[in-house]
This record gives sequence, structure tokens and C-alpha cells, in this order.
Amino acid sequence: MQTQKYELNMGPQHPSTHGVLRILLELDGEIVVKATPIIGYLHRGIEKICENKTYVQTIPFTDRMDYLAAMGNNLGISQAIEKLMGVTVPERAEYIRVIMAELSRIASHMICIGSLVMDIGGVTGFTFCIRDREEILELFNRACGARMTFNYIRVGGVSQDLPEGWVDACWKFVNNFDKVMETYNNLIVGNEIVQLRLKDIAILSAERAIAMSATGAVLRASGVDYDVRKADPYGIYDRFDFDVPLGQKGDNWDRFMLRFYEMEQSVRIIKQALEQMPEGPVMAKVPKVIKPPAGEVYHRVENAKGEIGFYVVSDGTTKPYRWHARRAAMVNLQLLDELCHGNKLGDVVAILGTLDPVLGEVDC
Amino acid sequence: MQGIGLLKGMFVTIQEFFRKPVTEEYPDVMPDLGDRFRGGTIKLKTSKCISCGICMNSCPNGSIKLTSVRDENNKRHLSTYVHDSGLCLYCNLCIESCPVKCIDWTNEFAFSGYSREDLIFDCIDLAKKRGYDVPEVKATPEAGEKG
Repeated sequence: MQTQKYELNMGPQHPSTHGVLRILLELDGEIVVKATPIIGYLHRGIEKICENKTYVQTIPFTDRMDYLAAMGNNLGISQAIEKLMGVTVPERAEYIRVIMAELSRIASHMICIGSLVMDIGGVTGFTFCIRDREEILELFNRACGARMTFNYIRVGGVSQDLPEGWVDACWKFVNNFDKVMETYNNLIVGNEIVQLRLKDIAILSAERAIAMSATGAVLRASGVDYDVRKADPYGIYDRFDFDVPLGQKGDNWDRFMLRFYEMEQSVRIIKQALEQMPEGPVMAKVPKVIKPPAGEVYHRVENAKGEIGFYVVSDGTTKPYRWHARRAAMVNLQLLDELCHGNKLGDVVAILGTLDPVLGEVDC
Repeated sequence: MQGIGLLKGMFVTIQEFFRKPVTEEYPDVMPDLGDRFRGGTIKLKTSKCISCGICMNSCPNGSIKLTSVRDENNKRHLSTYVHDSGLCLYCNLCIESCPVKCIDWTNEFAFSGYSREDLIFDCIDLAKKRGYDVPEVKATPEAGEKG
């Protein structure tokens, strides 16, 4: 029988594409031959916009990149500008930054897990994740007055000190986290359908992951021990005791489970940070008009999706000459074709879910 | 054995059935947003404002537009103050940068309107209407210079 390949358009309004990603699928029956991600539907030209803003004004735009873990973006750009200026951040601010970045990571992973489970048919798991994420968003709201677009971590520290009762609320959340994980284990991880859908599908070898510059959980699931927090510690991350969880096979299941392990490690870091957090100022003495000396800097941090790096070039004026972001989600998404090849159409959503792209960051 | 995991999951959901609901009855009961919540438009205390224009310059998106006029003693007086909340990023930079702390959020939770113009607020007018401050504003001159 003579057959022929056909093209199928998935997205950009498809609910499982995590935003406005369009995938052009070339199919042989139900088997994917080629998957081409077509990006740019959410492109706002943030890099160019930021070149026309002052250094401080660029921070709110980073909130709109990876909007599920915006604290990490704030941290990255703030530390890049601090590196350029040579500012030392007060101790308390450093601890607050770590707590916020880790809470942000947990919130982002909850969305990753929840949406992945929903994409493969279990809507109940999603509602549980969203419910627990709400507690983190509430903590953020109390601290900085916004639930998603924080603009909280600033050049020289954080914008405001933690309000009264915030630390207790945070302790309550982290102490209750074991129960949350138990619920997830019983509801999501133990579910045979989820296991069957994810195990041994889309195996990514360590060599290919490195060759494709994957970072974050996608890289570590393939067994590569690389975490910027350990490999190139920034801020005060060298003071905390935590493990970098690794996967063995690099299949969908490993990438999925790694997010659970990372959430546990993040809670470990938050607990240590809450214990050690000193009193004191939260903002260094930074001039009102920031004019870094001419030069360039590249600073990278480990965000929820992977390594996010900021390349900022200063020409000595109030505005950056060049402002570039290395977005982890964008780089990880390039693996889509390789992982989808030879798998069934139904697995495309699962693969996309484990790659965890956020289109705000992909398109930038 | 296959199926045990599914039963365990169902047990979790059945337990949830007997817990207190976490959903908020939003339109009937307004959520408690906390005192740091950033939302609504700008609450302007017109008598305190020195028309320095720092809020306008600190805004990343140009959502604040103000004009002022100088009197015979060369002192600035506010003549217009417009906040385009449709452009606003709610980043708080304007409020933090105000040297006399005369602006704050009105903290509304949601806006709705039929056109984009409905999202543009004349903050002096709003302050008058809602009584945020007793305004002392001179009439708009022909050549209203920029702050």
C-alpha cells in the first residue's frame, strides 16, 4: 500500500503548548517524523526595549520573560548589574534573595508537573499543584505586592524588607511541604497511567544533552551533574547544604521526577536560609542614577528552567549598550525535534511538558 | 499489581472531599490582598506634589504624563497628571522614586472598560472626586511646560 507523510499544525492556540508555541509536525501515520517548533508569537523585543531603558528599568521586563519563576530572572539581571558596578549586597538581602528564588523554583516546578499531568489526561493533579502554588504566590504578594511580576530583587538588594509574620508563614509552608509531597506521590507519581505514559519515552543521552546545550532539569535528567548553584556559585549559594539530583536514563519519567527531587532540595535550602537569616539592612548604598563603568559582564544563575544568563554591555551611560539574555527554555526547546522523532503523536505533548518551555522566555 | 496506584490516588481525592474548600468566592467576597498590593491607578496627593517629574522619568513604559507650570516665584505647580494604566507595568518604581511620597496605589483589584481610553485616568480629577486630598491646582495654561 502506498502511503505518504502529512503535516499537522499543533498550536499556537493549543492548550498543551504552554502558551503560544506552534509546532509543525510531519507525521507518518501516528509516528512523528519531524517536529519543528515555530516560535515568535509572543516576541516583544525585550532585548531591544531594555537597551532603551535605564538599568533599573530593565528589571520589570525580566519579570515578563519567565513569568512562572520571575524571581530568578530578577536575581540574574540584578546580579549582572551589580557585578558590573562592583556593589556588595547586604547579608539579609542575600538570604531573602535565596529564599525568594527557591520559592519561585518550587512554584515553577509545580506548574511544570501539574500541566504535564493535565496534558496527559489527569486534570486532578493540576488542581492540586495550582492549589499549593497559591500559597507561594500569597507569600510573594505579602512580600512585594505582586503575585507574578514582582520587580522585587533590585540592584543592591531587595526593594522592601519582609513584612511582619512573613517568616512564620514561610516556615509554615516549608514544614508542611512533606505532606504536599506525600499527596503528590500518592496522586501523581504512583499513578500507573502517568508512569506508562512517561517511562522509556524520548530518551536523551548525556552526550546529546550536552551537545545541544541543554541545562536545568533536562540536562540533569540525563545524568550530567551540572547545576550553576554548585558549578559556579553565585550569591551565597556556597553556604547551603543541598544535593543536585540526577536522573539515570534521561527519559520523560526522569525529567518529570527530577522536578519533584528539586523541589525537595529547594525546601532544604529555604529551611537553612530561614534559620541563618540575620537582621539588618536589605539595600546597599546604590546611587540613584546607576551609571556602571564601561565594560561588559555575563552573569548566569540557575533558574527553574535551567541556566539563565545575562550579558550586559555598558558604555558608561545610564542605559545599557547591549542587553542580552540567554534563555534556558529557548535552548531546551531545540531538543523537541530530536526527542519527538519516532514517537507517537500523543507523546509530543508529554515531551513538550517535560522540556517545560515558557513562551515568554522562549520568544523574549 | 496494576491499579493500586489509581486507587491510592482516588483515596487522596476522596479525603479532599471532606476538607475545607480553598476556593474564594471572588465577586461576592473580595480577596484580602495585603497592604503592599500594587494595583488600580495612582492615588495622588495633589497638594503635596512638587511636580518634579521623577515619577514620569522613572516609569519604564511611559505610563505617567504630567505637566506643570511655574508661578511668579519660579515654583512649579501641577497642571495635569495622567496615568495610563493600560501601559502600566505595576513595577512600583514611580512610587518608590517619589521624593515627597505623594503617590500611592488606589489598590483596585480589577478594571474593566469598553475601550483603551477607559484605562487612562486623570489623577487630579480622581483625587478630587474621591477626596484623596484637597487640591490646589491652577488652570491649565496655554504653554504648559513639561515637568
